[in-house]
Amino acid sequence: MRPASRILVAGLTVAAAPLAAQGYRLRLDARYQAVSFRGVELDSIPAGQVVQLPGQGPTSPDGFAVDCGTSTPGYCFYFRPGAKLRGQPVTTTADLTAWGFGVKGLTIRASGRVATDLNDRAVWPATEPNLVLTEGYAEYATEAAAGRLGRQLVAGRLGYQGFDGARASFRAPAAGLELAGYGGWGLARAVAIPVTSPALNPLDDFQPRNGQLLVGADVSWRQRWFDFRGEYRREVDPKVDYFVSERAAASVDVYPLRKVRLAGGAEYDFANGWWGSAEASASYTDRHWYGTVEARRYRPFFDLWTIWGAFSPVPFRSVRANAAVEPVKGLWIRGSGERYWFDEDGADTPLVTVEDRGWRAQLSASATVATAWTFEAGLRSEFGPGASSRTVDGGITWRPSDRLMVAARAGTLDRPLEFRFSNARMNWVSMSGDVKLTDRFRLASDFGWFAEARRRPDAAAFDLNQVRMSTRLVVTFGSSADRLPRAGKTR
Amino acid sequence: MIRTWLVALLVGLGLSAAGPAAAQSPADRFNHPKHAKLFPRCETCHVGAVRPEGSIWPAVQSCEACHDGTTEKRIQWTARTEAAPSNLRFDHQRHRRSAAPGSTRAPNDTPTCSSCHQPSGTGWMTTRRAIVGQCLSCHKIQREHLAAADSSCATCHLPLVEASTLTEARIKGFGIPANHKEPGFLAKGSAGHGALAKGTPVAASCATCHARDFCAACHVNAPETPLIQALGPDPRSLAIKATLKAPVNHKATDFGRRHGEKVGPRTEKCATCHTQESCLACHAGAPAAAIRALAAAGPGRGVGAVVTRKKPDTHTADFGQKHAPLAVAAERSCATCHVRPMCLQCHRPDPARSGGYHPAAFLTRHPAAAYARESSCSDCHNAQQFCASCHAQAGMTANRPLGTGNYHDAKRSFLFGHGQAARQELESCVSCHAERDCLTCHSSLGARRFNPHGPGFDPNRLRRKNPQMCAACHGFSIPSR
Repeated sequence: MRPASRILVAGLTVAAAPLAAQGYRLRLDARYQAVSFRGVELDSIPAGQVVQLPGQGPTSPDGFAVDCGTSTPGYCFYFRPGAKLRGQPVTTTADLTAWGFGVKGLTIRASGRVATDLNDRAVWPATEPNLVLTEGYAEYATEAAAGRLGRQLVAGRLGYQGFDGARASFRAPAAGLELAGYGGWGLARAVAIPVTSPALNPLDDFQPRNGQLLVGADVSWRQRWFDFRGEYRREVDPKVDYFVSERAAASVDVYPLRKVRLAGGAEYDFANGWWGSAEASASYTDRHWYGTVEARRYRPFFDLWTIWGAFSPVPFRSVRANAAVEPVKGLWIRGSGERYWFDEDGADTPLVTVEDRGWRAQLSASATVATAWTFEAGLRSEFGPGASSRTVDGGITWRPSDRLMVAARAGTLDRPLEFRFSNARMNWVSMSGDVKLTDRFRLASDFGWFAEARRRPDAAAFDLNQVRMSTRLVVTFGSSADRLPRAGKTR
Repeated sequence: MIRTWLVALLVGLGLSAAGPAAAQSPADRFNHPKHAKLFPRCETCHVGAVRPEGSIWPAVQSCEACHDGTTEKRIQWTARTEAAPSNLRFDHQRHRRSAAPGSTRAPNDTPTCSSCHQPSGTGWMTTRRAIVGQCLSCHKIQREHLAAADSSCATCHLPLVEASTLTEARIKGFGIPANHKEPGFLAKGSAGHGALAKGTPVAASCATCHARDFCAACHVNAPETPLIQALGPDPRSLAIKATLKAPVNHKATDFGRRHGEKVGPRTEKCATCHTQESCLACHAGAPAAAIRALAAAGPGRGVGAVVTRKKPDTHTADFGQKHAPLAVAAERSCATCHVRPMCLQCHRPDPARSGGYHPAAFLTRHPAAAYARESSCSDCHNAQQFCASCHAQAGMTANRPLGTGNYHDAKRSFLFGHGQAARQELESCVSCHAERDCLTCHSSLGARRFNPHGPGFDPNRLRRKNPQMCAACHGFSIPSR
C-alpha cells in the first residue's frame, strides 16, 4: 500500500466513529412549472403605407397605431403582439444541514439548486445558470462565539446578500449583546452568483469586470423591552480600490406594553450622502384584533458601478395602516390602506403629466367553518404612478388534517397602465392540493386557467388564455427525530 | 391461649392494614368485643403471631367448636391463605420476641397486641387495625404520620417496589403528606422535592410511596438522574397521578422571546421537563448545542412538557411584508423557529414556483405593485436576472435607439418629458432600459448633454467614492461641481 493510501485509510478509520455519530437533515425539493406569457414585438412599415383615418392617429394598414419618429426617417414603428412564450422551468433544490463530526458545535450547511427550462429557449427568468450554490459553509459555534467559513448569506436591513468568505460573531447573553464581522468576495445582490456572471447582463449593459470585496459588521443589543440592531456594509472593487457601495442602517423594536410594539429603522447611503429607506410603526396585537399604523419612506438603491444613482432617484413617503378583527369565532375581517406621494423631483415638464401620488386599499374576510373549511373573499384596489389595478377574488380551502389540503380560488383583475395603452383584464380559476404522503414525502400541485385580454384602441390588443400548472415533490431525510418540520403538538 | 390467639389476630390484621396500605380484610368482619369474654389471649386464635409454624388466622374448625349450627349458628368464613396486601415491614414474631426474655427492651416497654390494636383506655378486645399513632409513639416518632422524618418511614414501611402485594387501587389511595402541597415543593430549593429526595441512595420517604416510573412521568431526564435511578422500577407507581406544571417564570410575557438567553448552554434546568422534541416543536432549525444536550424522547422517559408551536404576537397578517426590521434586529430569534429554506423560498425565488408570496394573478398585476414599491422587490429579486431578462424575452426592452417606436404610447411625448417618471420609478425604468439608452442624451460626451442630476446629488462625494461612474458620462473631464 502506498503511503498516501495508508494515510487515507488511517484518516477514514479515525473519522469513521465521529462520522457515524453525526446528525443530518437533507431536504430535496423538486418543482416543475408550465406557464406562458406574451409580450410585444417591434415592427415597422414605410411611412408611405401609413393610413390616416378620421379621428385617429396614424395607423398601419392592418390597424396598428404607428409612431413615425425621427430615429429612422421614412419608417414608422409599432409594437405588435409577440409570440406566445412558453416556459417549463424545472428546479431541484437540495438543502443539507449536518452536525456532529465528533466536534461539538460544528455544523456544516449547504444549499444548492439545479435549474433548467425544458423548452429549448429559456424564456422564464432565473433558470440560468443551471447550477447555483446558494450557501455552503462550515460553522463552529460556542456559547460566546461563532465562526463561519464558506459561501454564506448575510440578512439584514441592507439586503439579503451572499459572499464567499468568513464571518465571526461574539455574544454576551447576559448583556444581550452580539457583535459580528464578516468579509469576503461579494456576490450579486439578491442572487448567489458573481456580479460578473453573463446571466446578470441580459441587456448587454455595463457590467463589472471584477468581483467585489465585501466587508461588514453588525451589532445587536437585546433587552427585555427593546431590540436594537446596527449594520454597516461596504463593497469595494479591489482592482481599482473604488467603492461599489457603502451603507449603514439601524433599527429598533420597543415593547413598552405587553401587546404594543413600536418599531423603526433607517438606512444611510454614505456613497451618495443621503438617507435611504426608513419607517416607523406602532402595532397593537390582541387575541381578537390587531392593527398597525406606519409611516415609511422608500428610496431605491443602486451600486456605484452603475450610473443610475447619478440620476437622483427620489424617495416616496407614505402612511399606511392595517387592522384585523375577529367579531365572531373563526371570522376574520382585514383591511389595509396606504397613501403615498413622491418627493419633489425637479424634472416635471409641461410635455408630460405624470402621477406623483397614489394609494392602495384592501379589504378581505375569511371564515373557518367546522375547522376544516375556510372561505375567503377579498377586494383590492390601487391607483398610482405607472399602473393601477383592481382585484376581486375568493377561495375555499379544505384542510381536514395537517396532511391534506385542497383549495380552489377564482378572481378577476383589471390593470390599466399609465404610460401605455394596455388595459389588462384577467379572469382566473385555480385549484391546488398539498398532501403529505408520509413523514418524508410531500406532494403539491396546482392548476389554473387564466384568461387574459389586453385591450387597447388598435389592432395591438390581444388575448392570452392559458393553463398554468406546477408540481412539487419534497423529500426529507434525517438522522434523528427532529428531521421534520413540526407543527402543532409534538405528541 | 385464647387471649394470645386474639391478640395475634388483632395484631396481624391491624398492623397489616395500617398506614398507607390500610384496607378491608376478611377478619375485619369478626366482632371482637362480642367475643371478649371467650378469649383471654390473642394468640389463642392468632397462633402465627408467636409461632412460625402457625397461621395468623384461626382454623375454621376452632370457630365451629361453638358455631356448629346447634350451639351457635354456622358461619361462612375461610381463612386467608396468603399474606394480606401490605407495605409494612412488620413481623409479628419479631415484635413478640422483642417482648420476650432476653430482649433488650425494658420490661415495661414490651409491646403486646394491645399496644398497637387497642386504643388506650378501652376494654379488652376493643380492637382496631393497628393504631398508627401508637406505633409512632412506641417508636418515639414525635410527628404526625405523614409528616414523619425521612428516617422514620422505613421503620415500618417497605419501599413501594418491595410491597409487591399492594394493588394500584390501594396505592392510589395513599395519603398525601402536607409538605407536598406547599408552594415550593415542586420547585428547586431546600424545600423542593428534589432536595428532600436526597438520601442514601434516595430518601426512604419518597421510596415508600413512589417508584422510578412515577418520577419518569415528569422527569424526562430520569435515566440520567441518579436519585431517580436509585428507585426501583414499578409501573404501579403511576397509580398516583402527577401533573406537570409550568414554573411561574414560564408565564412571564417575554419568556418565549428571552428564555434562550436566560438558559444559555446550560440546559440542566430544562432537562427535567423538556426533551429535544419539546424544544423542536418551535426550534425547527438545526438543533442548537443546548437543545442537543437534552435527551431525545424515547423509552424510559416521560412525555415531559408538551409545547405547542404558535406565532409570536408580532407575526400579524402583514408580517411577511414588513418583517425585515425585526428579522434584522433579532436574527437569532427568527432562526429558532425558521429554517433557512423558509427564508430562501422568497429571498431566492424559485423559477418553478407558481405561487407563494405573490398571489396567482401577480404576473399581470405586478406593474402596479412594482412602480411604487409595495414592498422592496430587490430584497428577493435581482433586477437583472429576474426583471430585465423576462422583459427582454417579452420584447419590452429597448434594443434599438430611443425614439424607434414609442412603447409609452399613452404619453404622446414621453421621451421628452420622462424625467419625472424616471426619478420617481427609476427601478422600473432599468428593468427595460440599459445605461446606453440614457447616455444617448444624458452624457457630456454625447450631442445633447442633458444633465440628469437632480436633488441631493453630491458630485464631489461620488467622485471620491467611485470616479469610474462619473467617467461613464464625463470621460476624463469630471467636473468638480
